[in-house]
Amino acid sequence: MKSKLKRCITATAAFAALASLGAVSAAAGEPYDSYNYDRWGEAVPSQAGFTAECSVSGYDLGVGAFDSPSDIFCDHEHIFYIADTGNNRIVAVNSDFESVVKVYDSFTMPDGSETPMNKPMGVYVSAENDLMYIADSDNARVLISDKDGNVQGMITKPDSEVYDRKRTFLPQRVIADKAGNVYVVLSNITTGAAMFAPDGSFMGFYGANRVEPTAKIVSNYIRSIFMSDEKKANRKRTVPTGITSFDIDGDFIFTCTSSSTQTTDTVKKLNAAGKNIFADLELSFGDYKPVYDTSQNKVLSPAIVDIDVAEDGCINCLDLTTGRVFQYDEDCNLLFITGAAAKQTGGFDHAAAIESLDNDLYVLDSSKDTVTIFRETSFGKAVHKAAALYNAGYYEEALEPWQDVLKRDGNYYRAYVGIASALLRKGDYKGAMKYAKLSDAGDIYNKAFEGYRREFLREHFTAIAAGLVILIAGSVTYGKFRKKRRASTAADNISEKEEKQA
Amino acid sequence: MMDLTQKQWVKYAVTHPFEGFEDMRWKKSGSVKIAMCIIVLLFFGQIACGRLYGAQFFISNDKTFNIIPYIVRSFVLFGAWVIGNWAVCTLLDGEGTLKNICIYSAYALIPYVVQLYINVGLSHILIRDEYIFMQLAEIIGTGWTVLLMFSAVKSVHQYSLGKTVFAVVLTIAAMLIMLFLLVLFMSLIQQVYIFISTIYTELSYRARV
Repeated sequence: MKSKLKRCITATAAFAALASLGAVSAAAGEPYDSYNYDRWGEAVPSQAGFTAECSVSGYDLGVGAFDSPSDIFCDHEHIFYIADTGNNRIVAVNSDFESVVKVYDSFTMPDGSETPMNKPMGVYVSAENDLMYIADSDNARVLISDKDGNVQGMITKPDSEVYDRKRTFLPQRVIADKAGNVYVVLSNITTGAAMFAPDGSFMGFYGANRVEPTAKIVSNYIRSIFMSDEKKANRKRTVPTGITSFDIDGDFIFTCTSSSTQTTDTVKKLNAAGKNIFADLELSFGDYKPVYDTSQNKVLSPAIVDIDVAEDGCINCLDLTTGRVFQYDEDCNLLFITGAAAKQTGGFDHAAAIESLDNDLYVLDSSKDTVTIFRETSFGKAVHKAAALYNAGYYEEALEPWQDVLKRDGNYYRAYVGIASALLRKGDYKGAMKYAKLSDAGDIYNKAFEGYRREFLREHFTAIAAGLVILIAGSVTYGKFRKKRRASTAADNISEKEEKQA
Repeated sequence: MMDLTQKQWVKYAVTHPFEGFEDMRWKKSGSVKIAMCIIVLLFFGQIACGRLYGAQFFISNDKTFNIIPYIVRSFVLFGAWVIGNWAVCTLLDGEGTLKNICIYSAYALIPYVVQLYINVGLSHILIRDEYIFMQLAEIIGTGWTVLLMFSAVKSVHQYSLGKTVFAVVLTIAAMLIMLFLLVLFMSLIQQVYIFISTIYTELSYRARV
């Protein structure tokens, strides 16, 4: 008995080992298994949408190793700018990461003197005026320069009543909108990004996070109602976490916040007025369930350190704790999860920034001092095509791409929704019902069922009507028959009794 | 007068909410077999509600199916009601026996059980806009069952109106206490089981050396 059990266990173990070997070989060399989430929020194995092609270091580019680089940006001419923080320089690299276009060590001021940088943390190039914006962190300024290194303007600590003079001015990230307004993320500032007019004057703060209403904060608020003003003034204040990074896409600014404790406002889409469009949608970014790490015995809560919006509207969120890139389409549906915390290519030690060009991802690691390039796989291409068509409202045209996706990955939940919508639009109600049920899309099923029921009734109207008439007639005659029989038996009983009495 | 078969008594009791159970008591009628059938039907009706609903109203997660909640919602809850009611009403000069309480309460559940099956059927015919019909069926079925249950308690113990209300409230309290004790007992048993199994493992390791 025991030996049988043992054999059984060894067989299972061998099978599991074989299966895991197969899974590793299927993932084509990445140090992780790709997964996605199903309708119930459970992680299921999935095809990879991106594959790590290579990681490029400063040595490979011939400019010496990077030293804890913190930002990467791709401009409209497809030149990548890397803020090499530790080396106090900005490195401009061409789009295939083969040669360096230019290294900016220092900039020429309008009066002719050279000014070096001190820990540049962020870089941005505006497509409108072709100017570079550099968050020169330890010099407490934002440099605005042309591409030849001539400084065109400078933003320093604002002299305004709104800006507390006691606070430092340490720019972390910088972007500029179409009108030339400059937005700066500052460390130690929780009231949002500082906004500056094109001439460099301070305009106020933009897009502050909200405080998460936890039980402690609610109880503090209730207590504060009964307090005197002096006591209130001396209490600990509740402030939201500040913005960590942002990106601009047309008229909208996307911000992310890497707080391990805060779960509201981790990713926001702000319009020009600073209103969060994602606020009322129940969206979640990053892993659904926090990952439990057995080696450290702690729960790793997601910390989204950088956000990037691709040209086609896809939102890429970089999670520092797990080293994963979560890609969402423009409607915030999860497309792919890529990357891991690992030493190999495709894994990260301390993921710092993410950038995208066409459909490829470029992730900067500030501890490995490399840029990892992820190329879109053919599966990724299929999903991107289908999702783009679907989101643009071309449901029927998206049918074939979605079917292609489903052929490659039967676990891909969104494909079922896409096919159900397409079939519903085409009028194939039965097929739409089938796929809606598989994707658990109750609203699509409802519409498909309504159409199916209408068609069914129209086709079988005569049969149903005839059946109803026969049923009603039958029940009426049966009722009459029963009544008659009951009356006759009762009469018989009475006559029997009478006979007995007689 | 009232020479009905057991099946006819079921129909009579359900369709006469005010005097049905009184007449049943007077005729000493009612069958435990039928009562058990009703509870089994309640059990299957609840499973049908959870698993066979039309996909436009509710989609069940096929990956997980746990039968324990359904058992608790039918057999355990009904058992707790019957025993709780019996325990309370024996103290409150009720005339009902455990068997009678079981039969009458089960008969009173019939409208609710029927409503479950009707709604499962309707969920495959109606769309979301017509959900009101299903709600109507649910409200009527549940309301009727509550009325019958009240009448059942009243007639099985020969109580006045006020005393019935009192007894029902006490029964619900008794049910809660019983379920609480049950959970407590089960968790204690679990602890004891773990303790014994740990000792066994420990001994078995030692014995082998």
